[in-house]
Amino acid sequence: MTNADVHALSGAYALDSLDAAEAAAFEEHLESCGSCRDEVRSLREAAGALALDVAETPPASLRSSVLAGISQVRPLPPVASEPAPPGNLVAETEAASSVPVHEMAAARERRTRRRSPWLVGVAAALAVVAGGAVVRSVQLDRELASVSDQVAAVSAVLTAPDATTTTATMTTGGRAAVVSSESLGSSVLIVDDLAPAPAGRTYQIWYLSDSGAAVSAGFVPDVRRSAVLLQGDLGAASGIGVTVEPEGGSSAPTTTPVLAVAV
Amino acid sequence: MRSESLMRMEPDLPPTPDPSGGGDPTRLATRLVGLLARSSRGDEQAFAEIYDLTTARVFGLARRVVRDPAQAEEVAQEAYLEIWHQSARFDPARGSALAWMLTIVHRRSVDRVRAAESSHERDRRYAALGDGPEYDVVDEAVTANFEQARVRRALGTLTDVQREAVTLAYYGGYTHREVSDLLGVPLGTVKTRMRDGLIRLRDTLGVEA
Repeated sequence: MTNADVHALSGAYALDSLDAAEAAAFEEHLESCGSCRDEVRSLREAAGALALDVAETPPASLRSSVLAGISQVRPLPPVASEPAPPGNLVAETEAASSVPVHEMAAARERRTRRRSPWLVGVAAALAVVAGGAVVRSVQLDRELASVSDQVAAVSAVLTAPDATTTTATMTTGGRAAVVSSESLGSSVLIVDDLAPAPAGRTYQIWYLSDSGAAVSAGFVPDVRRSAVLLQGDLGAASGIGVTVEPEGGSSAPTTTPVLAVAV
Repeated sequence: MRSESLMRMEPDLPPTPDPSGGGDPTRLATRLVGLLARSSRGDEQAFAEIYDLTTARVFGLARRVVRDPAQAEEVAQEAYLEIWHQSARFDPARGSALAWMLTIVHRRSVDRVRAAESSHERDRRYAALGDGPEYDVVDEAVTANFEQARVRRALGTLTDVQREAVTLAYYGGYTHREVSDLLGVPLGTVKTRMRDGLIRLRDTLGVEA
């Protein structure tokens, strides 16, 4: 791509019409091109003006949902006081083939007791990871591109029009939700307040079928909160289970499930 | 501290719910900056004001792109949560608060339609999109708004290809490749028309950040 081509992408970028890879490349260019930064800033104002032409009063229920939602989430501190920990994100993600919700997991304080729409909060945090991953992928290239793919895959399931959600409590005290999309053939397991696995043990995820068969669907990363894209296909499975297994996993469950969710 | 000085500059105005989505853009811009600064410190009341000042635009944009009202409501809710969560990361030096917020809304709307849509649905959506914004279905009170009329006039100054490229991308959520296919115009042309169209829109509206 020649330099002139790169500059010409400012309009498409301001309209969010580049695909993820092109947008990442253009953002890299923005780091070093002040005139493109200025142009994108002004073109975004112009694009934003277009929203005025389609303004529409939302249902009244949106206001209460939004205000209930924000009461569950603490605003992030300013950037300068919290350098991002991309190394941990990569390590955890690659090891577990999952997307730890690091912004939340890294929070120093105990969470508030009120958290009924906790899923919404987790989803919001995931989106933050998604945004961060795209920006950082410029610096960390391929490793984070795979994180970005993971985040995109998880987001696709969470936002699928046919997504169904089942929540359950783990016997160890944490909460879990399985979000499944039939059209995408994928499921995401979200866990919250996961108790640390015993030494030398790991949390393994299973597809459970009515016949009693269990097929491994991957592992839950050993962090308090995470969202895991399940490996393999939901297929004929009627439930999702999680058991504590020796590190490296087992070929079939060897302990009583800490979580069993019908899907 | 940036946020504190902005706080002091903020005029002490009563909440001004703005169902039309219009209003004085300069006053709105100033007010939003102060309210975002308060939100970043956890002030839920300030965020409620942000909601009231922007909800018609935020929901309207989400609705225009994803079309389904229930999904638009979800996208708008997710976007507001992200705006709240990220409020400390808003930098007035990088553009207006409203443009920052609408970028979040637009990206989420676009992600939604691109992630979940079959090609069949995209075709249907394009058919439903017609030649441009559905001016006739917009509420009359909104249409009467002066600012909105300016935006519409400004859109009218674009060439047909510029306007189609810009509106298919912004309202339709299409990638520049898809816009190129839909219009039967080479990709390079689409890119330059998007840029030229936005530049003309910017200059006509005088919205230089």
